[in-house]
Amino acid sequence: MESKLIRLTVNGREEAVVADPLATLQDVLRDSLELTAVKSGCGQGGCGSCSVLVDGELRLSCLTLAERVEGAEITTLEGLNETNAIVPLQQAFVENYAAQCGYCTAGMVMAAKALLDRNPAPSRDEIVEGLSGNLCRCTGFAPIVRAVEQAARALSGEEAS
Amino acid sequence: MPELLRPGSVDEAAGLIGSHGAAAAVLAGGTSLLREIWPSDAGYLIAVDGLGLDRVEARDGGWSIGAAVPLRALREAVPIPALQAATREIGGPAVQNMATVGGNLFARAPFGDLAPALLALGADLVFASADGEATQPIDAFYAAWSDGAPPRAGLLIRIELDEPAGASAYLKCARRRYSTPSVVTVAACVETDGGTVSAARVALSGASAAPFRCGAAERAVIGSALDDAAMAAAAAAAEAAVTPATDPVATDWYRRRMAGVFVRRVLAQLA
Ligand SMILES: Cc1cc2nc3c(=O)[nH]c(=O)nc-3n(C[C@H](O)[C@H](O)[C@H](O)COP(=O)(O)OP(=O)(O)OC[C@H]3O[C@@H](n4cnc5c(N)ncnc54)[C@H](O)[C@@H]3O)c2cc1C
Ligand code: FES
Ligand code: FES
Repeated sequence: MESKLIRLTVNGREEAVVADPLATLQDVLRDSLELTAVKSGCGQGGCGSCSVLVDGELRLSCLTLAERVEGAEITTLEGLNETNAIVPLQQAFVENYAAQCGYCTAGMVMAAKALLDRNPAPSRDEIVEGLSGNLCRCTGFAPIVRAVEQAARALSGEEAS
Repeated sequence: MPELLRPGSVDEAAGLIGSHGAAAAVLAGGTSLLREIWPSDAGYLIAVDGLGLDRVEARDGGWSIGAAVPLRALREAVPIPALQAATREIGGPAVQNMATVGGNLFARAPFGDLAPALLALGADLVFASADGEATQPIDAFYAAWSDGAPPRAGLLIRIELDEPAGASAYLKCARRRYSTPSVVTVAACVETDGGTVSAARVALSGASAAPFRCGAAERAVIGSALDDAAMAAAAAAAEAAVTPATDPVATDWYRRRMAGVFVRRVLAQLA
């Protein structure tokens, strides 16, 4: 099949890549743009490790055709901070030992960001629901939930000050 | 690899589906299709975003819901308890942002968790074909399924939903909370008149080859109070009516038992 020029806005930058018309956003982000925080756990929508934000909404890049998000704002973990320093949400993951092998972590952080952007003060149950599409197979979910709780507290503290 | 086609209008999309027949597959959110498509023999994917089918319009006494409305947008636009509960129980947040109402109505068991809610609420489905629009009650759509698969129904363009006359509730029986396939899902909509049930719709998904309305469970409660005896009779009727399958999620035996248990529980929410 003929390749196609696909124009994407990723982490605030205009990108143009030549790809198969049925290339997934995951393939384009990882292979063409080398944004490897986007992981490839299952390719089936089941693990959440490929989670990105499209116009601020959580999406699975493995089930999104790159061609269909032309014109949208795509954010990967790399785009959370332009200087590549870790942001408070990531710091909360570090402090709560919420990553062991780290394979799920970028997806978890993106799911947590999508949740906190909509709901800065989630209950524990809302955090569990917000992360429910993301699987961790080694750390366990308790430290991850604690990290998001801490990030939420930090966020509301920041807003108060 | 299939070819991706991007029609510019509903008429053009319906025309492509008509002319390509079995070689065409409608691509909505892609959360089912893109998992299955790679080894599939579909020659053409007909994308239905950009056709204006992603809007919910409130009209007099109800809603017109575009087939390409994502599940989360449906939850935010239509404040009916059964529908809101159903959309929260399908996949996780990312799936709910991507998966569409139309795509879910075509999902095969153990998926298809929205169907019981729309069956219990008495929705109508509107299809477009080269011959124009045709409206079908949702019960008739599912009655036409065979071997757990939908008929070649053409392009679903919208769902017409009237404000329910009664109270509605929805429950999903699953192995864990959130983002998990169902054992069974049930929904009910009940109208009462002076303590007596005057109308009832009870529907199940995952319990038979296709989602269905359980007339026997409905008859068990209509004309009496929604008390323990009536709910037990409806549960027994549902257990007798389902024809469940065994799959990695649950055995047929467990699904049958849970069909009864969850019909009783969903009715208890309305008692
Ligand atoms: C991680 C994960 C978890 C999931 N969990 C659940 C769950 O808990 N419950 C559940 O019910 N489902 C679940 N699903 C299954 C499924 O993805 C959803 O049912 C979803 O709603 C399908 O919608 P879609 O828009 O993505 O459809 P697509 O994948 O685009 O299409 C699905 C099917 O519907 C047809 N179709 C779509 N739109 C139309 C239309 N307008 N007219 C005619 N045909 C059409 C397509 O041709 C295709 O056959 C899950 C999927 C994933 C990836
Ligand atoms: S790789 Fe996308 S959900 Fe697993
Ligand atoms: S840290 Fe290893 S999968 Fe989550």
